[in-house]
Amino acid sequence: MDHQTAPAPLLDVRDLRTWFHTFSGTVKAVDGVSFTLAPGEVMGLVGESGGGKSVVGFSLLGLIDPPGRIEGGEILLDGEDIARASEERLRRIRGREIAMIFQDPMTSLNPVQTVGAQMDEMLRLHTDLDEAARKARCIAMLESVGISRAAERLKAYPHQFSGGMRQRVVIAIALLAAPRLIVADEPTTALDVTIQSQILRLMRRRIAQTGAAMILVTHDLAVVSEMVDKIVVLYCGKVVETGPAREVIADPSHPYTRGLVDSIPNPRDRKPRLAQIPGAVPDIRNLPSGCSFRPRCPRAQAKCAEVAPALAPTRGTLSAACHFPIVEEIAMTGGERA
Amino acid sequence: MTASAMAASATTAAPAAPMLEVENLEQRFPLRSGIIDRLTFEGGRPRLVDSVVHAVNGVSFSIAKGEVLALVGESGCGKSTVAKSIARIYTPSGGRIRIDGEDVGAYGHRAMLPVRAKMQMIFQDPFASLNPRQKVRDIVAEPLLEQLERRGEARAKAKAREAAVALLERVGLNAEHAGRYPHQFSGGQRQRIGIARALSVNPGLIIADEPVSALDVSIQAQILNLMMDLRDEFGLAYLFISHDLSVVNHIADRIGVMYLGFLVETAPRDRLFSAPRHPYTRALLSAAPTIDPADRAVEIELEGEVPSALALPSGCCFRTRCPFAYDRCAAERPTLQDVGGGQSVACHLIDEPERDRP
Repeated sequence: MDHQTAPAPLLDVRDLRTWFHTFSGTVKAVDGVSFTLAPGEVMGLVGESGGGKSVVGFSLLGLIDPPGRIEGGEILLDGEDIARASEERLRRIRGREIAMIFQDPMTSLNPVQTVGAQMDEMLRLHTDLDEAARKARCIAMLESVGISRAAERLKAYPHQFSGGMRQRVVIAIALLAAPRLIVADEPTTALDVTIQSQILRLMRRRIAQTGAAMILVTHDLAVVSEMVDKIVVLYCGKVVETGPAREVIADPSHPYTRGLVDSIPNPRDRKPRLAQIPGAVPDIRNLPSGCSFRPRCPRAQAKCAEVAPALAPTRGTLSAACHFPIVEEIAMTGGERA
Repeated sequence: MTASAMAASATTAAPAAPMLEVENLEQRFPLRSGIIDRLTFEGGRPRLVDSVVHAVNGVSFSIAKGEVLALVGESGCGKSTVAKSIARIYTPSGGRIRIDGEDVGAYGHRAMLPVRAKMQMIFQDPFASLNPRQKVRDIVAEPLLEQLERRGEARAKAKAREAAVALLERVGLNAEHAGRYPHQFSGGQRQRIGIARALSVNPGLIIADEPVSALDVSIQAQILNLMMDLRDEFGLAYLFISHDLSVVNHIADRIGVMYLGFLVETAPRDRLFSAPRHPYTRALLSAAPTIDPADRAVEIELEGEVPSALALPSGCCFRTRCPFAYDRCAAERPTLQDVGGGQSVACHLIDEPERDRP
């Protein structure tokens, strides 16, 4: 997608800060995250656990509970700042404008309600359809996500479905009110690989048909590379790199992204040792000065401890928050940093 | 000779005493045990039915000394059950398990103790597999202490603790860590502790059940590198259970593919990835997402889901989802056949290759 002629964004997140005030200190789970999303665009929000990717997703839907709070920044959905929207307004937005697909299809469906009742609720809240029309829409939607005998299955309870089928139901519910944005938080992480590929195929097809935009929150770079147009990489609550998916994965400019990509075993280029990022993600209540990635970074210098780097263009279509980005297009090999 | 070269020659030359030999392993779990639960009425007459989960169905393989065999498959395929049966966490329902030549399938808890000096396990969940009330030093020392006490050695406790500290250093932790509790460590560090514990008795075989699945990708690489270093250093054999094909491709010498409790294909790593024969293996490989688009093969789309292990399909376990299935597949259960190059496949298509077209 050409950045210069991109249409007016559907979603414009500016300097989002979502903090959690705990007894042991303030957890700045999301600390100054900005990105935009065009209508119909599919974006991957990636990073390791603790990066803040799920918190960004929850913030978009106003699902941050105390002790968490959106401390600052704007979430502009078609120009309306929903970071400050009332709970009443948020209830209209959730499902209607922004739908969410959660990781665990076991817990995101109500176990004591039939699938039909849960689907019907979405349409009752967000449309003026009468009962017969709602039922017809639910049946059509279930069929479109590959569930056969849909009319019968409406009367079934979630436990009567397998994991893959349940995730299809969750996707059907998310698509029911034709939202303009879908936030999918690790939608296939709980599923087996052959089922995962069925679900990803389904999501890709259905979302392209509806023209909705999607944010795919995941730790799995392989899933991202097959699904999304652009990638935002998070580390310790900050965006460290962003750019078109192919470029970010093929030749990232931030050392953290580089390390992530290199630590995935690549069958085409098998080395005796995998490249590894030394150390572990720091305690987010007690981040190092300057750049958060500095203690694990092979390129760190004195400046990195003093000044936190800002996101800036590095090479081609990539932007990274790094004082010493990888500007030369070479792949680092595993041995160097082992 | 490197460990992998050793393993390669070992697999082709059929070694005299493999580290582990599993023959026709069966593991069934009764689902309903009470009389009331089992009671059903058929045509007005009461009848007791047994409802049994067929978790592992006649699995056979062997692992040479220093070799890494990976078992892959989706959830419910029985790969972890195989691991736990061999580790004798479960008592097998049938078949033989020989560890270093000794048949341990029928051993009781006490008889297993000496065997545990040859075989140890690393678990998936680094949070659940360490006792939160024990110090790391004691966690790591425990298996060794058990062995030393069994042999009646003097100063067993001191020796075991000393060894524990050395092991912690070997797996990338340090002596200071010995006095801490598991909750003070990250997931990756806990997995290092689990590895140190397994190493403490100097085993020849380590059964690793999804050892890196719970870890972030950058930490996963650290643990895989450590496991491979230790294998070269101590000549370890691994039974490596994983659902992640890219990890398996990195670490294994040989791979077995399981489906619904059956071993459907086994082959040396490169052969399995370059020339998979079983339709399930092919579908599994093609479904795996990859970061390199050049690797993207034409996907064989599998419809439907895995059948229940309570009621296995007749004949071939995979026939209900197999795009090539024909009448023989329902009538006759295929067995593993050697197709050359160290590869064995349980599929009727081997006899009738002309059917191998969609």
